[in-house]
Amino acid sequence: MFPDTGEDDDRRMVPVARRNLFADKGRFAMSVGGVAFAVLLILIVVSLYRGWSGAGSIYSKLPGEVWVAQAGTIDPFHSTSLLPANRAAELLRVPGVVGVMPVYARHLAFPTRGGERVDAYAMAITAPTVRLAPDLRPYFPAPGHIVVERVLADAAGVRSGGTLRVLGRSLVVDRLLSGGNKIVQFAFLNPVDAKALLGQPGRVSYYLLRTRPGADLGTVGKAAAALVPGSEAHTSADFAGAFSRLVNSGFLSVVGVLVAIGFVVGGAVIALTTYTATVEKARDYGVLKAVGAPGSFLYRIVVWQSLMVGLAGSLLGIGASALVANLVSRWVPEFVTDLRVLDVLGVFAVAVLMSVAASFVPVRRLNRIDPAMVFRA
Amino acid sequence: MTTGLLRVEGLTKVFGAGRTRVVAVGGVDLVTDRGEVTLVMGPSGSGKTTLLTMIGCLLRPTSGRVVIEGLDVTELPVREHPRIRRTLVGFVFQTFNLLDALSARENVEVALNIGGVKGAAATEHARRLLVDAGLEDRLDFLAHDLSAGERQRVAIARALANDPPLILADEPTANLDTPHGRDVMKLLRALTRRQHRGAVVVSHDERLRAIADRIVWLEDGVVTRVEAPEPSGAVVSVAPRGSAL
Repeated sequence: MFPDTGEDDDRRMVPVARRNLFADKGRFAMSVGGVAFAVLLILIVVSLYRGWSGAGSIYSKLPGEVWVAQAGTIDPFHSTSLLPANRAAELLRVPGVVGVMPVYARHLAFPTRGGERVDAYAMAITAPTVRLAPDLRPYFPAPGHIVVERVLADAAGVRSGGTLRVLGRSLVVDRLLSGGNKIVQFAFLNPVDAKALLGQPGRVSYYLLRTRPGADLGTVGKAAAALVPGSEAHTSADFAGAFSRLVNSGFLSVVGVLVAIGFVVGGAVIALTTYTATVEKARDYGVLKAVGAPGSFLYRIVVWQSLMVGLAGSLLGIGASALVANLVSRWVPEFVTDLRVLDVLGVFAVAVLMSVAASFVPVRRLNRIDPAMVFRA
Repeated sequence: MTTGLLRVEGLTKVFGAGRTRVVAVGGVDLVTDRGEVTLVMGPSGSGKTTLLTMIGCLLRPTSGRVVIEGLDVTELPVREHPRIRRTLVGFVFQTFNLLDALSARENVEVALNIGGVKGAAATEHARRLLVDAGLEDRLDFLAHDLSAGERQRVAIARALANDPPLILADEPTANLDTPHGRDVMKLLRALTRRQHRGAVVVSHDERLRAIADRIVWLEDGVVTRVEAPEPSGAVVSVAPRGSAL
């Protein structure tokens, strides 16, 4: 155990590390603050990345598992898909398929308060014949209504119950969905309105197939694509992942560099604090060596000092990240963050490892301290 | 009767080589038994402290032997020295060398922790040592809040923490006024006589002659004179230069 666990048992020892750190409370506070700031930056960057890359997850929430699309469709954001509108009945006969929903989709420009236009990906899904679960109802608005994400609503200056004009038609904002960001936003229309807006009679964009639980999606997709000339099949997971792949290709390396810089800064703060404390207390360490302290006893003091700064800074940084993510998402809706427990635990674990690694430099300094120095006045 | 607590034979330390070669300590012999105080005196730069650091396993001699309780510590590898320092030797320093961030009790307790005593046992032992040193009302004072005399008492209590048979003291009264210096002298005397320990004290302070059983004069690293004060206060020279003590 470390020498200052504070436990009141037979293994309790004098908390030299804690006393050393708290002897200069100002420096301790600044060190903890520095580590907390590094952890805050890391977690905000990571959660922002998660928020952006998770924007496509809306595909996983829709009531179907296989999308039949025009051949050559990379993903719903970069491709236009047009298919004949008369294949629903045939697709319903594919083994494993229990429902077919024609989907109309395209990018649409929505007017903003500032007179500019903002792009949103508009979808109109033909309601399945089965009764919809309450959580799916937002994706199936009534004719003359539209469901938009909060970021789009804010940009357009509308609230629930307000009116949005799209290509000359006025649509009532049915409700607002949480989410959306500056890169992609979703809007949901009724197919009646969508047909008019999309302007492609006799065509649909996709067929969304609802499958029986346990059905092999690959087999279903192949069979479905064979029934629609010039088509191919994608799973909802493919489409959901398309956006994260897009974000990954553009931002992952940037995020990685920022996170690495955050860890380096945090580690440097810990190393510098512990090193400074070690140099300042060199005589104390010399005294401990002189009275017979083995190297392991002294190393534990230094490592524990590093860990205390790292742990306190990490916990403060995690708390600050949760607070900042919460506050910023209220004030700046397009700043979509997704602070995940696993990310927090990962950053915490790395911060702990970083603390141990940061004690390497002061430990080397410790080894050079000559205990005979204690005889010098 | 000689118990042979400490035996120093031909102890030599040479620094540098060639034109920079300096013999800091040259062939010193010295013996201290339990219950005895050996006072090493001499001018500044005479090698007193170097001698003490070699006896305390803080500096490796160039040649010669240091035998503590029958164990030739100069034969031991360096990694064994910390064990010798925490079990056989207790140090008292001129500048006290207490850890300022710790209380008086913790300064003693940390030495016990190093010696393997932990928890409540260490706390109680430290308290007892400080009470014996007359510091029962200063247990939880931070080291830097204590007077110089109190700090030296804490340092002595720390030196005794792991019950070493040999105390090595470097100018223990140099930073103390006369009353506190006298207190420390009495304490050192009591430690050797009543607790049956041996002490080697390095000092310029003539007052310490009063508690010494043997006075070794060191000049330029060699023993020039050995005196054994009589109980009456008279001094008898007992060993010429270069003789075994």
